[in-house]
Amino acid sequence: MRDFLDDRPVKLRRERSPVPASLRPFVLAVGLCLLAGMLVFLDRRGVITPARQMLQSLTAPVARQLTGLRDDLGAFLSAPRGTAALEARIAALERENGELRNQLLRLEQARVENNFLRQQLAIQQAHPWTLLGAEVTVRSPDGGRRMITIARGSREGLRPGMAVIGQLPGPPAALIGIVETAGPHTAHVLLITDVSSQVSGRVIHQDRAEVGLVQGQWQRGSRLQLGQITRDLELAPGDSVVTAGLTGALQLPFDLAAIPPNIPIGSVDQVRVLDQYQIAEVRPFVDPDQVGYVWVILSQDD
Amino acid sequence: MGDPQPRRLEEILAHEAARIAGLFLLACLQVTLLGLPSGFTLPLVPVLAICRTLLGVSAAFPDVGLGRALRWALYGGLALDVFAATPLGAHALALLLAVLVVAGLTRRLRVERPAVPLLAVLVGMLIYETVLALFLQPGGIEWRSYLLVVVLPSVVVALAPTLPLFLLLRRLLRGQL
Repeated sequence: MRDFLDDRPVKLRRERSPVPASLRPFVLAVGLCLLAGMLVFLDRRGVITPARQMLQSLTAPVARQLTGLRDDLGAFLSAPRGTAALEARIAALERENGELRNQLLRLEQARVENNFLRQQLAIQQAHPWTLLGAEVTVRSPDGGRRMITIARGSREGLRPGMAVIGQLPGPPAALIGIVETAGPHTAHVLLITDVSSQVSGRVIHQDRAEVGLVQGQWQRGSRLQLGQITRDLELAPGDSVVTAGLTGALQLPFDLAAIPPNIPIGSVDQVRVLDQYQIAEVRPFVDPDQVGYVWVILSQDD
Repeated sequence: MGDPQPRRLEEILAHEAARIAGLFLLACLQVTLLGLPSGFTLPLVPVLAICRTLLGVSAAFPDVGLGRALRWALYGGLALDVFAATPLGAHALALLLAVLVVAGLTRRLRVERPAVPLLAVLVGMLIYETVLALFLQPGGIEWRSYLLVVVLPSVVVALAPTLPLFLLLRRLLRGQL
């Protein structure tokens, strides 16, 4: 120790005085303790709390910066050193990344499934149908036939002739096709837009309805066509077309009797007259080419 | 007693302002940079206040030295209160009582011995933590577990830097002793 005036070494005292030099420090101590105690009291009563909070808000930015600095420093110090440690760390992170991606994938699948189940529930609440959901696994590879393959088959109760519906945001759930063949785990669905698809339909105009035949027109440059409607009923754009439930009577090559009535198909777009009949271009409510998940109507509650 | 010439008021105020700013800075460092992974914080301000007390009571003018140590305790405690969002004065009162007890116990001891700062910090931190517990845990404390889980680890953490800080402080304050 050195004295700051003459730069001579200063020794701390070896011999201690048994009595205090004065009462001044103890008076000061008592005073400061009382001051601190009073501050506590006033703060608890809320008198000086705003001042303390103002001080805290003033010091918060600096404290935040310093805490961030400490966190950065801690991260730097805990970072792996050396090639072997880095490689081990990278391997561990890659493992963790893979697990997280798997978890994310499962969560996304669950979310998608949840959405489909919600849609199915809403459809079943609105219609007296028993549905079975199925993912579209294969789409038409070319324009020859408009078909899709779905990931459900005869093991789940699918049979040829069952109606397949789909739903897109906005329009109602609507017919998109009919099960043509059913394997144990997959089924081929002929889309209603295919030119070989023929389904009995009922067009509703105001309070009247007329039965006709809905035929696919995709290979002919449009979507659907409603034919065999007599001129007694004057069709108009916007009229709704639903299934009539009579397809089985048409004696088509496969059993279509399983299609229940009143499944929405589409709405009339254009109408033209041919001899004694009217022919309407129908815009399907659900574009069969856009759906990724469909429901097969297994049965209908009577 | 103490200074041979009375200082001017503005000089005193400037010294006090510098002391307050310095202790606020130290408190800021304590609450931001000195956190340990175990959840405890290196108690820089309490340890420095206790070491300052030792140096104060062992100086040529112990009354002046103790007065300065008490002001360190007050300013440092208030700064900790501001940063820790505790009632203003709680840390200050705990630190003042710790400093006062340490000053009383070490008046007859020679602080050059390494055991003295360690014992002083041990006693001071016990008092500090106990008083703080009484202030900050008004709903009743299970003292046995509190002692084992909070007080003893805090004291051990405080003892670790005591000697280096004491020697550093003695070197820095050599002109004021």
